Amino acid sequence: MNRWLLVAAVVVTLALPPLLPERHLGTFVLLGLAATVTAGVSMLMGYAGQVSLGQASFYAIGGYAAGLLTVHGVPTLAGLLAAPVVAAVAAVLLGAPLLRLRGHHLAFATLAMQLILLSLLGRGDWAGGAIGLQGIPTLPVGGDLGYAYLSWAVLAVVLVISRNIVASRAGRGLRAAATSEIAAAAGGVAIGRYRLTVFALSAAFAGLAGGVYAFYLGYLSPGSFPVLLSIEFVVMAVVGGLGTIAGPVVGATVIVLLVQALNTLGTQPGMPGYAPSVLSYAVYALLLVVTVLYLPRGIVPAVTDRLVKERRP
Amino acid sequence: MTSGAALEVSGVSRAFGGVFAVRDANLSVAPGELRAVIGPNGAGKSTLFGLIGGQLAPDAGSVRLDDVRIDRLPPHRRARLGVGVVFQAARIFPGMTTLENVMAGAHATTHAGFLAAAFRLPSHRREEREIRDRAAECLRRTGIEDWAHRPAEELPLGQQRALQLARALCGRPRLLLLDEPASGLRTAERERLATLVEDLRGDGLTILLVEHDVAFVMRLADRVTVLDLGRVIADGTAAEIRADSRVVGAYLGTAA
Ligand SMILES: Nc1ncnc2c1ncn2[C@@H]1O[C@H](COP(=O)(O)OP(=O)(O)OP(=O)(O)O)[C@@H](O)[C@H]1O
Ligand SMILES: [Mg+2]
Repeated sequence: MNRWLLVAAVVVTLALPPLLPERHLGTFVLLGLAATVTAGVSMLMGYAGQVSLGQASFYAIGGYAAGLLTVHGVPTLAGLLAAPVVAAVAAVLLGAPLLRLRGHHLAFATLAMQLILLSLLGRGDWAGGAIGLQGIPTLPVGGDLGYAYLSWAVLAVVLVISRNIVASRAGRGLRAAATSEIAAAAGGVAIGRYRLTVFALSAAFAGLAGGVYAFYLGYLSPGSFPVLLSIEFVVMAVVGGLGTIAGPVVGATVIVLLVQALNTLGTQPGMPGYAPSVLSYAVYALLLVVTVLYLPRGIVPAVTDRLVKERRP
Repeated sequence: MTSGAALEVSGVSRAFGGVFAVRDANLSVAPGELRAVIGPNGAGKSTLFGLIGGQLAPDAGSVRLDDVRIDRLPPHRRARLGVGVVFQAARIFPGMTTLENVMAGAHATTHAGFLAAAFRLPSHRREEREIRDRAAECLRRTGIEDWAHRPAEELPLGQQRALQLARALCGRPRLLLLDEPASGLRTAERERLATLVEDLRGDGLTILLVEHDVAFVMRLADRVTVLDLGRVIADGTAAEIRADSRVVGAYLGTAA
């Protein structure tokens, strides 16, 4: 039954892009990328018990790595492959001091990390400054339709990797450490190194998505990676359901569709210019509250629990 | 089975807020020995185990496992050198099945990392099979194989204790620290545990056992160490300890 659901999801995903009107194809691409980043956030929060409010930093780092390399003549494929690697290396360097912090201290530190990164990118002429990095070449995937398939292929790879890790020795060590550090360490889990590795892995997911994003849009600016985006990834992860493989996809889809609807509403004639962003913030807050109150484990666990209950009355 | 390790605790002290929980403790355990550590509540037994297992760092003194100094190593390194721990409180991993809990215990003696897992490399598959077999055997030995696929937090207390022991065994320890493994167990479970502990000693494992049930201890232990107020006040065979007037005064007279 689970397998059929998976097959159905894959078939729909493959069939959808050619049927979508041009203006919605972009949303489809960005949704695939957002779910990819969220898969990393979900692993970080759900399996390693760490909250990152700066995950868009690694999305940005991957994007800028791919953009800068290819603007300076590196082949696009090499640029794309470099994106997750650069993001992961950045995460290891930043994570070594940051991960000494726990809980909301860590959350605030990652938020600060993103603010610093944005200010550096805004001032750095080498990165195009506040205007942004222009003229990034495109990947030879055949236009928007190609990007639609590429972004969801990237998502599929990331989900398979997540699933493989969760059900492995490393994954058990992570999940153990998230619930009892003392017992996990006594069992031989090097907790500090594991936390850093997951941080780097989640950054690699975000970096890879950022790389695709850079080639898809062809330009990057610090304004493309606001703090709101980082919060969006966390909301997607929580709403979809932490510690599930499908959660990031479901959470990202729900949020993206909702934001789309709100944008339509916020840009109606007569609405003030700040309406779209205020509406998004309000909806994130509302969704978080509703999820925490009524579906504390997120959508995917709630639905699967119900299905299981129905099958054995 | 791997053979047991020798343990040498020399002059170890540890204070909390100026009060000694363990004070200048010396303990010498031969490979394959089953050593009981007894003493009244608050005597420092769990603290001593924490100093050996690495959950606590000593203020002074040294701990050696087969002549390797381990007292400055983090707990996961000590686990890799062969120290297995069963905590006084049942520390399980909720949200994971019983089998997964026990498999997690194999960490100390296995190696596959994130990359091998992410891409399902052959080395990872091979090791995963070995871990699963090992965990299944540990579940069988501790009598909780029927619970294998249940979430660990659903287990009754007795089974959670067995789970902790199974998890420690899955790491193939050479020195096993058992902190009150029988507390809260029913008589039949207690008997089963006693038999298992005897079996483990038969395998050559070195075991340190804290237990308040004096009859249980005296039956199993090769030697007994008595702690009181953080100090070792006696050390000897069961018969010697029973005859020791200081021990009777400090502990046996009141507890037994
Ligand atoms: N983390 C800690 N912080 C402060 N004091 C502690 C801590 N751990 C232990 N102690 C104190 O150290 C002393 C020894 O405690 P310990 O837990 O080692 O005793 P125990 O012999 O294991 O007792 P029990 O039989 O009740 O388990 C006690 O007085 C206890 O209050
Ligand atoms: Mg104790």
